[in-house]
Amino acid sequence: MPDVAVKNLRKDFGGVTVLHEVSFTIKDGEFFTLLGPSGCGKSTTLSCLAGLEQPTSGSIAVGETVLVDDSSNKFVPPEERNLGMVFQSYALWPHMTLAENLAMPLNIRKVSKAEQKTLIHDALDKVGLAHLAHRYPHQLSGGQQQRVALARALVYSPKVLLLDEPLSNLDAKLREQARVWLKRLQSELGITTVYVTHDQEEALAMSDRIAVMSNGHMLQVAPPHEIYERPSTAEVAAFIGRSNFIDGTVVSTRGGAATVRLEESAETINVAVSEQAAAGDLVTVAFRPEKVFLTNRGAELPADAIVLNADIITTSYVGSRYEYDLKYGSKTILVDSTTGGLTGAVRLVVPAEAVRLYPRANVVSKDVAELMAVTH
Amino acid sequence: MTTIPDTRPPAQVATQRSEYPAPKYRRILGADRSQLLFWATIVVLALLVLAPVVPTLYQSVMDRPLYEEGGLFTLENYTRLFTEAGFGSVALNTILFAVMTTVMTLLIAVPMAIVVIRTSIPGRKFFGAAMQWPFFISSLILGFGWITMYGPAGFVSVQVKRVLGFLPWDLYTLPGMALTEAVALAPIAYLFCANALRNSDASLEGAAQTVGAGPFRILWSVIIPMLRPPIVYSSVLVFSMSIETLSIPLLYGQPVDITVFATFLYKNGLQSIDPDYGILGAASAIILLVTVLLVAVQAKLLKDAKRFVSVRGKATRPRLLDLGWIKWLAVAFITIYVVIGALVPILGLVMRSFTKIFTPLQNPLASLTMANYQRIFEFPAYAGSIRNSLIVAGVGAILVSVLAVVAVVVSKRSTFRHRKVIEYLALAPQAMPGLIIGIGLFWAFAFMPFNMGALLQGTIWAIIIGFGLRALPSAFGSISPAVMQIGEELDNAARVNGADWLKMFLRILVKLLTPAFVAAMVLTFVVMMKEYSPAIFLGSADTAVIGTTMLELWVQGNTGSVAALATIQIVITAVFVGVAGLLMKGKKDA
Repeated sequence: MPDVAVKNLRKDFGGVTVLHEVSFTIKDGEFFTLLGPSGCGKSTTLSCLAGLEQPTSGSIAVGETVLVDDSSNKFVPPEERNLGMVFQSYALWPHMTLAENLAMPLNIRKVSKAEQKTLIHDALDKVGLAHLAHRYPHQLSGGQQQRVALARALVYSPKVLLLDEPLSNLDAKLREQARVWLKRLQSELGITTVYVTHDQEEALAMSDRIAVMSNGHMLQVAPPHEIYERPSTAEVAAFIGRSNFIDGTVVSTRGGAATVRLEESAETINVAVSEQAAAGDLVTVAFRPEKVFLTNRGAELPADAIVLNADIITTSYVGSRYEYDLKYGSKTILVDSTTGGLTGAVRLVVPAEAVRLYPRANVVSKDVAELMAVTH
Repeated sequence: MTTIPDTRPPAQVATQRSEYPAPKYRRILGADRSQLLFWATIVVLALLVLAPVVPTLYQSVMDRPLYEEGGLFTLENYTRLFTEAGFGSVALNTILFAVMTTVMTLLIAVPMAIVVIRTSIPGRKFFGAAMQWPFFISSLILGFGWITMYGPAGFVSVQVKRVLGFLPWDLYTLPGMALTEAVALAPIAYLFCANALRNSDASLEGAAQTVGAGPFRILWSVIIPMLRPPIVYSSVLVFSMSIETLSIPLLYGQPVDITVFATFLYKNGLQSIDPDYGILGAASAIILLVTVLLVAVQAKLLKDAKRFVSVRGKATRPRLLDLGWIKWLAVAFITIYVVIGALVPILGLVMRSFTKIFTPLQNPLASLTMANYQRIFEFPAYAGSIRNSLIVAGVGAILVSVLAVVAVVVSKRSTFRHRKVIEYLALAPQAMPGLIIGIGLFWAFAFMPFNMGALLQGTIWAIIIGFGLRALPSAFGSISPAVMQIGEELDNAARVNGADWLKMFLRILVKLLTPAFVAAMVLTFVVMMKEYSPAIFLGSADTAVIGTTMLELWVQGNTGSVAALATIQIVITAVFVGVAGLLMKGKKDA
């Protein structure tokens, strides 16, 4: 199965650019996820791949076949692309039985009746629904409908499988199970898959690689582990998992490290930097709540850990852990801990490897910022 | 909940995979067959809509009839219209009539909508259903009914005169015309207000109650302000409908010489021996301008109104307000409207059709007769008009509904560049009064190259085109919501699966739209059954429809047979709607 190559894809809707020159390549057999909040352009990208939207410019190719190319004015309509797609609402045709739903693409491809029968049976069997072939979609549960939609997308062995939030309409428990099942099916078939979701856990659990999108830009394309551990921008860090952000200014740099003065407290910390940083740069320091810990004054600390003095303002017990809200200057810092019952002034210990430094960015939404200000 | 099955071992799956390449669709000059359908739709619609308009505008600036050679450009028609022809006073009459009609319509409809939808009066369901009566009965028939009962020699009038010694009302005046028209149009305004009241969020009222507001306070401060958009919209709608209406002004205004737009066209185009086509064209052009403007205002208002209506997925069941003793006043008010406005005139008309003489001075049951019906069935021209009406409505319903389905789907569900234009074209006949469609098509047929118009002129096809054009917007409007309710992902799924647009339309949307299509056919049948005004110009002796025959019989003074034909038309409509309703219900159960 071929690679999918997308180059400089751009889409304008009535003067508004919803997709800014996005480029990426999906490898043969890869599970590739487009992740981002609603309105980030992930669905538009998928629609462009499917041919349901015509991009303003750019090119898309599957292997040798060019599907879209603005330089040669080529646009292959969706029906001639031979892709499989599962829609968010499943889009099963309500007036046809499951077998008829699956027969439609085969009829269009002029597959013989006998062969259709085997193909439909096999495809339904693959999703465990062969015994319901003559039911109508509305007689099925949501989970079953979702699997039929998948069977319909696979029955004609398309080149690429496109999935538009296929699990978002399932209830939470079933969704987790379906995630595992879908991932296994995909790797067994070895079909190149493009998956769209706004659910970061889903993306992390299933993908070979994730493309994080925001406002029509692709912020980072990397395997799940790298996305979580080494987010390339503050926005990615904010969107994937939870992060604390503190603004600061670089005071000096030495080798691979920078000294940063934090705005909230005028305390200075030493941070390892991977990219170029110069004195005077405005930066944002980020770390995840589960990577840090709280100690009492006087306890022993790991080498070159960063220590900040803060006050606990609220404690929430969420089952697997305690979540503490710390007041640090005018900021609220979130910390996970397995120990409960801490109060008052504490020391927040941030191991050096847990800290990431980004150019100054405003990643906290206005609503959240206001709400946090209220709690003080 | 079902368990997630195990997948097959990979080896087995891999052997099954073989390529089924996507289909290829042929293209002609770069356009696929779906594109051809799009263009065909827009061309057909444009021809239909422009056919009556262009010749009308052209005639209005020509110094002689279109069929005469050597016509010259002139604006004299417009000046003559206001000087010799006295169009100024006609315009004044029309505006007075339309304003009075609008005010009276709202006075009837708005309180009725509030009372029926939002208060706990007895018989709410019945009154709600009773408001649908005008769907079956044309305003021409209503006019006949009113004259039969409340006209100068009407059944009720004579009785009142006997008791009081004088008649306290006169139907043949502008207010009389407006009152009858208002009774006919009230259900339309009622429908808009009732829908707004049903869709509004009941928790708003709940909120008012929690802060201590009583039922009247809630009515005044919460419900009535919410009705502002539908009231504004339906006023414009009713205003424009009363500007173009012919029936009641013709029946009431002719005897006493009150002329409005429609009757002006009727008189100048049909009744004069030598019609002045220039005047006719200029008058039509001006009326068309007014109605187009009004429809544009309607469209704008409807768009704005939609922004304010919050329709939520969750159905909130509004609590009904209890008005105490006032509710009996409300019930009395609605009963008077339904009984005196609609029931008595229609029943009177039916009675009239079975009697020789219909007056309180003599027991009508003593002069029972079938002669009125006999006369209709004895004269082939009269009987033929019933057959013609059935053919026009039957064939027209199918053609119009097919055109409407295609137009709706192309305009809402395609990527066709000019899909908006298709929608405008399909809705444009809203702004075209029936008489102008008649005059315009008449000229268009006369004007067609190679004398092709002769093939249509005076045939039943001319009537079907004229009536069909009038019915197209309602068919479009009834199918459009059904299309919007079908998720677009169903189309997209078919496209990705290998169906081109046309195949998607035929295999998916056509099947899913069948109920909406049938409903549109029923609606179109009824609309075309009631229609008559385009046929006044387009019809010939062989192609008279029920409406034109009734007018003819009316002029002859044959009121008994008019009543008989009216009864027949009502029965046909009721039977058709009843049977269609049963069939559709049967299908749903299956």
